[in-house]
Amino acid sequence: MSRSSFDGSALEQAAQRLRQAADSHHYIEPLRDSLPGLGIDDAYRIQRLNNDLRLQQGQRRVGHKIGLTSRVVQTQLGVDQPDFGALFDDMGFGPGEPVPWARLHQPKVEAEVAFVLGRDLDEARLGLVDVINAIDYALPAIEIVGSRIDQWNIRIADTIADNASSGAFVLGTTPRRLADLDLELCGMVMERRGEPVSVGVGRACLGNPLNAVLWLARRMAQLEQPLRAGDLVLSGALGPMVEVAPGDVIEARVSGLGSVRAVFDQAPDDNANPQENTQ
Amino acid sequence: MTRIDDIATRLDEAAFSARAMAQIDPDGKLPLADAYEIQRRSVARRLARGERPVGIKMGFTSRAKMIQMGVDDVIWGRLTSGMQVDDGGTLDLSRFIHPRVEPELAFVLKRPLSGHVSPAQALAAVEAVAPALEIIDSRYQDFKFSLSDVIADNASSSGFVVGPWADPRTDLANLGMVMSFDGVDQELGSSAALLGHPLRALAAAARVAEEAGEPLPAGAIVMAGAATSAQWLRPGIHVQLEVERLGRVGFHVGA
Repeated sequence: MSRSSFDGSALEQAAQRLRQAADSHHYIEPLRDSLPGLGIDDAYRIQRLNNDLRLQQGQRRVGHKIGLTSRVVQTQLGVDQPDFGALFDDMGFGPGEPVPWARLHQPKVEAEVAFVLGRDLDEARLGLVDVINAIDYALPAIEIVGSRIDQWNIRIADTIADNASSGAFVLGTTPRRLADLDLELCGMVMERRGEPVSVGVGRACLGNPLNAVLWLARRMAQLEQPLRAGDLVLSGALGPMVEVAPGDVIEARVSGLGSVRAVFDQAPDDNANPQENTQ
Repeated sequence: MTRIDDIATRLDEAAFSARAMAQIDPDGKLPLADAYEIQRRSVARRLARGERPVGIKMGFTSRAKMIQMGVDDVIWGRLTSGMQVDDGGTLDLSRFIHPRVEPELAFVLKRPLSGHVSPAQALAAVEAVAPALEIIDSRYQDFKFSLSDVIADNASSSGFVVGPWADPRTDLANLGMVMSFDGVDQELGSSAALLGHPLRALAAAARVAEEAGEPLPAGAIVMAGAATSAQWLRPGIHVQLEVERLGRVGFHVGA
């Protein structure tokens, strides 16, 4: 990592503003406005501050998500690399389990492949074969991304600092082996009320979702925080992301992997029983 | 009727000479039945020149496209032998005005098909399915048209390429599709974009064929509609579509 352009208190302040935005749902202006020239390494330092705090508070890190894996999104943000964020135990929801709206921040959904590792990826110089050997099984996944930056007005440093715009995730429950999958040409469709709202294919994720996993594994090995057996890795989207609203039910199907369903709770205001106010 | 004949002639001549023409109904006032009659007469001129009818193509098979065009149903056009380009062959660009290409699936029938049928009944009439590329080329200036314009213009049909035929008794609901130019991905999608399932597009073809009084015979090809946006063709490129489990189809564009 390069040396920081900012002193520690400036990065800590940025981390704090992101935390407050998450707690209050008062989303903030892009960090690049208050920290002009904020670079990728400093953005990861901000991310790390908040993730370390979560660990200190007793949350468990269950894996990582990979973001910015589509050429379209990379072009939009003017970058040529993906990014990553940490996944924690309380971000995971079961298929069909209502995801509380209050936990989400300007949510959008993406269909992805989830990989679970069966062994550590801690070799110094990793290759694709190491990744293939290390993956225990794959599951279909819906990632519910979110942004603490108002209106998703993000550039790469904003999203990296914001834990790669992570929010929550829902996994399917039938593990599949790599040998049974065509990860490059697997079709993807997300449906809402029976209508396809996003379609895609495995190739949309860095040419093959395993390319994304290899990128992450190398990156984490460099950072001396290698991926470990049991870790969950969300590959990055197989197609365009879609906005969701309270009460939505989204089903994602990935060819060969089956389907997974994300159910969104009503917003708190919608849940209030109007009769209660008259009593 | 002379107006309908006149428009049919002008559309056919625009296609034959590869020269764009003005829209015939920019405000979309022409009844759609008249637009389909123009299409029928225009294609009849091709048949009179010796081309054979080989099937139909479906258009507006994605909800996004229907919303964009302000319609709630598919449109369709007629395919003729003169539009067929060999898999692996070369496309002569001089035949077109401003051609675009889109990734599709094609069905070939083993039994006649028409009327209101379920997707399962439609499948029972299918001999095989294949990855396919459709070359669309509006005869209107700037590729701009109203709904009646595009129907009269044979739903922009101008060319199609069908890949190797495969057993249709495979799950067609969500096949990944990648269209590339010279090996570089252009459009990425899934067969789920076709009305949610390609067999729904086939069932729609059966319905419109009956409505037109032209039931689809055994051997007819049905192009089931585009799975993604269309891309402009450029001289000299190689166009390829890969479809999960079904394989690939491609063609070269002449310089």
